[in-house]
Amino acid sequence: MPKGSEPNSMIAIKNLKKVYNGITVVNVPEVRITKGESVGLVGNNGAGKTTLFRMILDLIRPETGQVLLRDEPVAGHENWKNYTASYLDEGFLIDYLTPEEYFYFIGGLHQQSPAHVDDYLSSLTDFFNGEILKKGKYIRDLSKGNQCKVGVASCLLQNPELLLLDEPFANIDPSTQFRLKSILKDLNQNKGVTTLISSHDLNHITDVCDRILLMEKGVIIKDIETNSSTLNELEEYFGVGQLASASSQVDREENH
Amino acid sequence: MTITFLRHELKAFWRSKNTGKSIAIRILMSLMILYLLAIVAYVGFNLDKILGSKLLKGDVVVSFSGIILLYFLADLFFRLLLQELPTLRVQPYLQLPIKRNLLVRYLAFTALLSVFNLWPFILFGPFIIKIIATDLGGLVALGFIVSLVGLTVFNNYLALYIKRKANLNGWIFLVAAAVTILIGLSDFLWHLISIRNFSYLFFGNLVKYPVLAIAPLLIGALMYYLNFSYLKDNLYLEELGSRRATKYKSSTDYPLLSRFGSVGDLAANEFKLIFRNKRSRSAFIMGLFIMFYGLIFYTNKEMNTEGYKVFVSMFMTGIFIINYGQFMFSWQASHFDGLLVSKVSFVDFLKAKYLMFTIISTFFLLLTTPYAYFGWKTLLIEIIMYLWNIGVNTTLVLFFANRNYKRIDLSRGAAFNWEGVGGNQWILSIPLLIAPFVIYGPFALFHKTDIGLALLAIIGLVFIFTRNFWIKKLEADFQTKRYTIAEGFRTK
Repeated sequence: MPKGSEPNSMIAIKNLKKVYNGITVVNVPEVRITKGESVGLVGNNGAGKTTLFRMILDLIRPETGQVLLRDEPVAGHENWKNYTASYLDEGFLIDYLTPEEYFYFIGGLHQQSPAHVDDYLSSLTDFFNGEILKKGKYIRDLSKGNQCKVGVASCLLQNPELLLLDEPFANIDPSTQFRLKSILKDLNQNKGVTTLISSHDLNHITDVCDRILLMEKGVIIKDIETNSSTLNELEEYFGVGQLASASSQVDREENH
Repeated sequence: MTITFLRHELKAFWRSKNTGKSIAIRILMSLMILYLLAIVAYVGFNLDKILGSKLLKGDVVVSFSGIILLYFLADLFFRLLLQELPTLRVQPYLQLPIKRNLLVRYLAFTALLSVFNLWPFILFGPFIIKIIATDLGGLVALGFIVSLVGLTVFNNYLALYIKRKANLNGWIFLVAAAVTILIGLSDFLWHLISIRNFSYLFFGNLVKYPVLAIAPLLIGALMYYLNFSYLKDNLYLEELGSRRATKYKSSTDYPLLSRFGSVGDLAANEFKLIFRNKRSRSAFIMGLFIMFYGLIFYTNKEMNTEGYKVFVSMFMTGIFIINYGQFMFSWQASHFDGLLVSKVSFVDFLKAKYLMFTIISTFFLLLTTPYAYFGWKTLLIEIIMYLWNIGVNTTLVLFFANRNYKRIDLSRGAAFNWEGVGGNQWILSIPLLIAPFVIYGPFALFHKTDIGLALLAIIGLVFIFTRNFWIKKLEADFQTKRYTIAEGFRTK
């Protein structure tokens, strides 16, 4: 993997820091992700994963530092929106639209005709499992898992070069989890899409990603390439972490 | 346990974002409520004089007895429109080891804690004490009070019962509202029945036999019991909620808008937002009601002047811009992050807003054209104010939208909903309402109204033709505030 070579850089993070009420929630001096990598982001609740995602997507202004996508800062630029697709939470969905209307809208932004969108959606029939299309519901009336499917599908629809997903496995059923995994692998290996995915499910994340970033209290404490021992290594970290502070763990942001 | 419930209730009130964090708003709110209470109390204290002088020449007690049931009919109508169902709050207690009866009783009881139940006593209380107690004796006065209690309780639970039923079937609400209106009309318009006579029949006899006060108390108790048993049988989430039974939601598209490309798509989404969510829909429906302003003002000789026409026309063609625009971009708060990361340029986003406002204002302008009946000048003024609205007021509203960081929940109704209201809305209303008169006023003063009108039209047109310039300014302004706006919208 040609680390550090500028022309292939997809995500470059430099001196990134975010402080809330005097507490540093993200502090990443340097990370570089090259085109075609599949990166997993793991860490306990409050480790700063979602905040990091939001800074990559220019939704939060960092205290210091910057994020560059393809060597162009995200802040103040809009180019990155052309090749980046992301789904962090339901706040990304327009919930008073039907899923179809939402897909047509997103497709339209990328100059795709409704017919083209329909065509693409038909390839996701398995993934939707008959629960999304033509159900006569607005997105707000769907379950959390089905909303997640809509969000992920709208990402795929955009033919992105960079895909960011925050805990895509969290609310979906096991069958969909496996389908999503194979979709992600296919995107990365056959279409060269760079992926950055966070998850609490260590099995899934080590299965899908070639490289794992482990966050703790806003800092990336491990940056490892996935191999046969990675899962054990991670399980050890989280197991020990939980033994030490199991009683004080408060589940604040994610529902698990 | 009930105490614990009440304590939670108080916490919910004080800690809700709705209550408003800033003290200024709380003070303004309480001042407004006090003001309303004071008006009602003033009417209440002078009810004897009002009844004695204007309405009927006869005995004040007779006319007083006549209006009570009339009041309660109107009361029922407004309750149907405005009173909130106090139900969803029990959700977190349903699965806990708490007796169903206790929950239901608590629900039924807290339903009484509504301002609506205060009005009749403030309005009629003083009269009962001042006139009835002194003229007819304490026992009769007590009879009146007890009857008021009975009728208030009856109305309270009847309205809630209808609303609960309406949650399962929307037609019930329409039928109930229509029946209330029909009863009113058959008295005042068709003179088929006389509620006043009926009211006097009861309360007149109450003067003779105070025991009759038991009757309203009984129907009140009956209504309470009906509510209680209904609640107890239906203590399930989907039946308690304020969500209607869902029917098939079909996709729609607006072929006309799709010609505008991605701006049109964004505008189409906004139309869907307006018509598919309760609060935004009520902003639109309110606009339809404002269409009657013309009928009220133009038919009145004293108010049929040009100055009033400027005022009325501005409201009729621009009420939606004012009403909906003041909460811009909060309407999209729940998916603002999604908009920011998607391939939507903010310029298109703004253009879509202009397009949407222009379409809706044009729609309202078309609705007001029949007012040409009051002279072609009326129509001309309407058109001028329409130009002003889509030119100046849209830009003004969007300028303030960049300064609005409050999230709002679209699914809740607009009545008494203070969510998303901040200092912004108060400040915004000043230029919105005053600007046209600052320009028009001086000319009207020197009887050169035509010049004033022409100036309004010209300024409106200038703003319309320089839209792209304003869009650029607004975009640059937005870029400096986007993080604050997005963060504000993220905090629930």
